[in-house]
Amino acid sequence: MGSDYPPSLRCGLPGLILFLETAFILIFWFCFSKESQSTSEDLEIYPAFQDVNVLVIFGFGFLLASFKRYGFSSIGFNLLIATLGVQWAVLVEGFLFASSAGKVKIGLHSVLKATISVTAVLISAGALLGKANPIQLIWMAMVEVAAFSTSRWINVRFLKIEEHTSLMHVHIFGTYFGLAVSWWLYHSSLSKRIEKETSNPISDLFSMLGTLFLWMFWPSFNSVLIVDVMEKRNAICNTYYAIAVSAVAAFALSSLSSRNGKIRMIHIHHAALAGGVALGFSAPVIPHPWIAMILGLLASMVAVLGSHCLQTYLNSVLKIHDTCGVHYTFGLPGLLGAIVNVILFIIIKWASLSTLGYLALIEVGSFMLTTAIGLGTGFITGFILTFKLWKTLPASKYFDDQAYWEFPHLAYGF
Amino acid sequence: MPSAFATNMRFKFSILAIFLEVLIIILFGIFVRYENTQPTTKDIFLYPFFQDVHVMIFVGFGFLMTFLKKYGFSSVGINMLIAALGLQWGTLMQGFWHMEAQKINIGIKSMINADFSTATVLISFGAVLGKTSPVQMLIMTILEITIFSCNEHLVVKVLGATDTGASMTIHAFGAYFGLSAARVLYRPGLKEGHKNEESVYHSDMFAMIGTLFLWLFWPSFNSAMAHADLQQRTIINTYFSMAACTLTAFALSSLVEHRGKLDMVHIQNATLAGGVAVGSCADMSIYPLGAMLIGSIAGLISVIGFKFLTPFFFSKLKIHDTCGVHNLHGLPGLLGGLASIIAAMAHVKLGETSPSAPMQAAALGCTIGIALVGGAFAGLVLNLPFLGQPPDENCYNDSVYWEVPAEETRPAGQFGDYGDHRTVNINM
Repeated sequence: MGSDYPPSLRCGLPGLILFLETAFILIFWFCFSKESQSTSEDLEIYPAFQDVNVLVIFGFGFLLASFKRYGFSSIGFNLLIATLGVQWAVLVEGFLFASSAGKVKIGLHSVLKATISVTAVLISAGALLGKANPIQLIWMAMVEVAAFSTSRWINVRFLKIEEHTSLMHVHIFGTYFGLAVSWWLYHSSLSKRIEKETSNPISDLFSMLGTLFLWMFWPSFNSVLIVDVMEKRNAICNTYYAIAVSAVAAFALSSLSSRNGKIRMIHIHHAALAGGVALGFSAPVIPHPWIAMILGLLASMVAVLGSHCLQTYLNSVLKIHDTCGVHYTFGLPGLLGAIVNVILFIIIKWASLSTLGYLALIEVGSFMLTTAIGLGTGFITGFILTFKLWKTLPASKYFDDQAYWEFPHLAYGF
Repeated sequence: MPSAFATNMRFKFSILAIFLEVLIIILFGIFVRYENTQPTTKDIFLYPFFQDVHVMIFVGFGFLMTFLKKYGFSSVGINMLIAALGLQWGTLMQGFWHMEAQKINIGIKSMINADFSTATVLISFGAVLGKTSPVQMLIMTILEITIFSCNEHLVVKVLGATDTGASMTIHAFGAYFGLSAARVLYRPGLKEGHKNEESVYHSDMFAMIGTLFLWLFWPSFNSAMAHADLQQRTIINTYFSMAACTLTAFALSSLVEHRGKLDMVHIQNATLAGGVAVGSCADMSIYPLGAMLIGSIAGLISVIGFKFLTPFFFSKLKIHDTCGVHNLHGLPGLLGGLASIIAAMAHVKLGETSPSAPMQAAALGCTIGIALVGGAFAGLVLNLPFLGQPPDENCYNDSVYWEVPAEETRPAGQFGDYGDHRTVNINM
């Protein structure tokens, strides 16, 4: 192994984590008041908040655990960056969106918004899975949460986008940020699929467990921020039916796209979720379930087609290695949802507004802006993450738990 | 017959699935709309119950069936396919019985009902697990949910029987439907058993994930549809019944096995029988005493069913019940029906009145009858030779319908045999 031996993280990682945690504690101590006045309405969202929590920690963790030698890292680092990201997101959002001078207030809502913002980091981590070490992931989480909150602040403050819509930009933002970082971390050895970058039946089942939890709790994710009861009910039902359609379509299209008619697990993992992502923006405003179901069908098609075309053509040309296929699970369905949202917006408001064109342009501009900020900040972050200072990993140690974890048993086959 | 076992389902499966999907979307477009009354907080209050039921359907039932060593993908994957298709079809079928002005109004409550209707198909899927193709399962989903919703309408609306936790209409119905279909689909070639029809250590662990999620959320399943005032009682009754049943199942499993060892199959399945059995009378005032009595008996008959009845069914009646759904859903479902008849005869209160015993008996009888006839009919349809069912030697094997990643070369030759290769390492 010799020079390929992965650098020890002993002096870097504990120091960095402890420093950040101390900083968080001090900032929370000095800048935050105890809590806002809690009402029973705040507690009403608690079950849905728990669903989002399961989705983020459990769902994403197991979804990423699809490689046979990278299960510990997938789930472990997911937990690490999610918990770190939530604390940091509460801070950043608290300062950016502070309504009045003085101490910032914390409630269930701020934790909820922070949890949703952190999804962006987890999606980016999916694109980098196996190629970045924990130090790089932590720095990426710090930058990305700050960048996403800033982008959201611009959207809400200057473009007057609704809070719900601005938070649903996480999928687009996370994807393009991750892809831009991934461009910097590209290594020529990644053009071929190596033995470690494959799954085995057990890891595929674990990944399916994560997929199911994401899939089941997606109605909560899309509806939790909505206040109006009617819109909330519509958001839940629309997402429920759309994501069911995209699951069935994922099976059908997966079978259709393979020569011997066999279903591929990877398609199910990705395409079944696409419907929920696409519904993110427009779930509360879609008036009839069949519209949502068609959108779910389209999203599933985009995801399956994307996994065929992008992985073979686009990624090899652009030298981007998208480990978990976040581009077609979250990115493209997210863009599809954003476009459909604008179309629906125009149709619904057709008669009632004179300044329709202007407002529609604002909607288009907002998701374009988010994409651009994601790509831009991701590009800069990626450049910084290539510095040797972060103890980057040699390419031979990609997709390998052994670089980071003590093993209860030796490596053979594991 | 070569055509019967042409398992390449590239066009058959995908075209049928897309066709059904398009059909359902069109029907939704014509008939389904959201309730336009302002939803009350009660509706949103039901949403956590819905989520629990959702977890049971997709993770619980899905992973419970992963116990076969080479059939994990199909168990979880096809389970998801059936449930995702079934919940859309179930919304329509149940909605047709409750139309207002030619429209089906949907809300959170119809989502819970739709999830319930898929549970019947998943139970039947357990009985035919490993011996059917995804194409067959699509057809069975459509047939079974159609018949189920008619039976449910008959039991609840026409007969006016009470069945809150759906012991009869879902569990007994699904189990006997599946058994009847399995009888028609009986394969003489598998009389001697099959080399893949067994579990390995890790596959039993995966199945335990399913068991635990089902166990945890069963109180929500039984109480989701209960009247708001009776919901708390339903939860408590189910909880105690499950607890009593678990203890009995452990005890009986140790009693019937050699040297007092526990059998994982019993733990995976019989511990859940209490939730099934208490379903019909969970919202009556049976007190924890009644609930625990029902739960204990359910655990008892479930283990005994696994030990003695399933081998008997297989060898004498030619019914091969892969997951033992008869012991988990069938017998406890019958028990639940009987318990509700007894409770009705004893004038146990449900709200202000008590249910009528003859109607409960009629509900139980017609549920079993319709399930058996419907299952036989479904079995005949599934026997059509072009539906891509696997040949005998490829039963219980994922790789017929799935791209399965290469298994690692291991001394034991089976994937995931952790036990074996750990010893290898120590020896090395």
